[in-house]
Amino acid sequence: MCLSQHFWQFLIPGITLGCLYALIAIGYTLVYGVLQLINFAHSEVFMTGGFAGLFLVQALVTTGVTPHGTESVLYVVLGICCGAIFGGIVAFLLERVAYRPLRRRNAPRLIYLITAIGASLFLFNLAGKLFGRDKVNVPELYTNGVVFTVFGAQVRVQQIIIVCTALGMMLMLDAVVNRTKLGAGIRAVAQDSQTASLMGVNINRVISQTFVIGGLLGGAAGFLFGTYLNVHYQMGFLPGIKAFAAAVLGGIGNIRGAMIGGLLLGIVESLSQSCMSSQWIDVVAFVVLILVLMFRPTGILGQRLGRAA
Amino acid sequence: MVQHEQKGRGLALTLQWKRCVVHKKTVLAAAPVMIGALALSSCSSSKSKPASAGGGGNKPSYTIGFQGPLTGPNAQLGINIDNAVKLAVAQANAKGDLPFTLKVAEADDQGDPAKGPTAAQQLIGNSNVMGVVGPTFSGATKAAQPLFTQANLASVSASATNSSLTDPANGFKTFFRIVPPDSTQGTAAADYMAKALKAKSVYLIDDKSDYGVGLCGNIKTQLTADGVNVVSDSVAAGTNDYSAAATKVANSGTQAMYYCGYYADAAPLAKALKNTPYTGKTLSGDGSNDPKFISLAGSAGEGWQFTCPCLSAAASTDPTTQQFVKDYTASANQPPGTYSPEGFDVANTLITVMKPLGTNVTRGAVVTGLRSVDFKGLTKQIKFQPNGEVTEKSIFVYQVKNGQITEVGTVDKLIAS
Repeated sequence: MCLSQHFWQFLIPGITLGCLYALIAIGYTLVYGVLQLINFAHSEVFMTGGFAGLFLVQALVTTGVTPHGTESVLYVVLGICCGAIFGGIVAFLLERVAYRPLRRRNAPRLIYLITAIGASLFLFNLAGKLFGRDKVNVPELYTNGVVFTVFGAQVRVQQIIIVCTALGMMLMLDAVVNRTKLGAGIRAVAQDSQTASLMGVNINRVISQTFVIGGLLGGAAGFLFGTYLNVHYQMGFLPGIKAFAAAVLGGIGNIRGAMIGGLLLGIVESLSQSCMSSQWIDVVAFVVLILVLMFRPTGILGQRLGRAA
Repeated sequence: MVQHEQKGRGLALTLQWKRCVVHKKTVLAAAPVMIGALALSSCSSSKSKPASAGGGGNKPSYTIGFQGPLTGPNAQLGINIDNAVKLAVAQANAKGDLPFTLKVAEADDQGDPAKGPTAAQQLIGNSNVMGVVGPTFSGATKAAQPLFTQANLASVSASATNSSLTDPANGFKTFFRIVPPDSTQGTAAADYMAKALKAKSVYLIDDKSDYGVGLCGNIKTQLTADGVNVVSDSVAAGTNDYSAAATKVANSGTQAMYYCGYYADAAPLAKALKNTPYTGKTLSGDGSNDPKFISLAGSAGEGWQFTCPCLSAAASTDPTTQQFVKDYTASANQPPGTYSPEGFDVANTLITVMKPLGTNVTRGAVVTGLRSVDFKGLTKQIKFQPNGEVTEKSIFVYQVKNGQITEVGTVDKLIAS
């Protein structure tokens, strides 16, 4: 009864949050697919996107004036692109500086994991040092009015922007992975990197490209998240962990799995709030993860990137 | 964490060493320049000596400690007090009638209870520290007090309002505060919502911190006594997404929502609430009453009300307070914020107690002096009850209007009108 009473009011923020989780989760899953590495520094790629978008928007928008019309559309698009580009750059550098030297030396798996955590700590502390440790508000880019109402639940501009952007990017990614040569390369490396290299696939290049794609999505999510909430040097931590959980939930290494996992996690988190105190919000996410893994140890869709999900 | 810091220190040492090497090379290359530089550096060190002696005689030097967050998400509340302490000490030194010179030592606890004892230990370990302004946050205060009591070092908070801190059962013998506790604020806030805003039902959210849970508990007790319906929820501080919590508030049909927590979380809650059709009044306590709330929440902060045992310096018409605003702004490069006047008062109370002790200031003498102090500060007449609680207790209401925090009045007057 608690669920049915305000179902739609909780479902809509859940979908919004779920889309953001899905965008970040894809970054984890892509990298895991090609390297079998949990890139814990991905949460900082997300944070970079938030800051990059914030600085661009701060430079463009006059304080105190909320833009509207085409101006708003332009700023939002620019912000998303800026976040995505900087996310991509950081992800690329991360692979070059932190992971490639390890690959060259054939380092054991554990070293990768520790490097990932080290890179994450380094990046968010650097951001804290450079940009301050306070939360920062992203200036409003549009009047966040109600667009339409579904069963008594209001749907606002912001939610539509987040959901549409996320869905658009995910469709594009799906097409890239399944239809293009680049995608074929990624799938080949994920299936069997040795054979792929024998067939003439440049593995290092494919891995770099995979990081950049994950970074683009993560950075864009960072900007959207920043406009939805705040930008903060530790903003990546919790969403990063949740998105990782979402990737595992959907089947790590599986792109469509990450999308479904993210969406599911966001919705479950939000709906659970209607029945219990809000202090349980983080507990619910991980209980769901444990339950799913108990019955489907490989996640909802199973671990396969290579076979085009 | 500790290892981390040590690593950092190691790195700093290496850097210094490298710099030394560079210097040596410079000496070899250009000795005359180096001699010049040496002369300069000796100049600057000889300059600093008479300054610390305060001009004339061998005055001893004592230190007033400050403990609170200087970094971290809630740093502004600590910075507000720290700047005021520095101003009070600078003014006292400049006046020239003190039998000693004063210094300030800062200990940053990030407002975190886990870091409270470490920060306190830094001040206790400095044998020159005769009294401490702080800690700033209730959680850190609770964690640090056993150490202050053990060291017999006075800890006078300008902002820690958790009611249980002055409970004699705790044995915090050297703790004082110049703000009334949450129980006073809670009762006043509840009465304000029930009698002035005429709310029939109220939604309470706490942030799971010592401060938040305590304040909301006090409000709930008084609201129930006033016959108001109460709906409660808890959202841990640092939660990213408040949209689900805000949806619950909007669905509750209450006429007012009170958030017990700090501005770093009140602001995202305000943003989330703005995205819901909630029409009730939105309020919070002294932890959110800061200009930073407005800069974080943007237009979503408009109309929020705060109850606070604090005096807003900017809204005051008293000439002494206006002078304080001028001096503070000049020395800190920002206008005074929440608890800045209180921080100024605490520092001046300590100075008032220390002054008659002359050159024989001891930690024990400062504690004894505080028990009988009667001093007219900016915010109130400062006089302590035996449990360390200040005797004068009024609660103010503030509201965000056109991006500014403005004073609405004291709760007593608002209920009467």
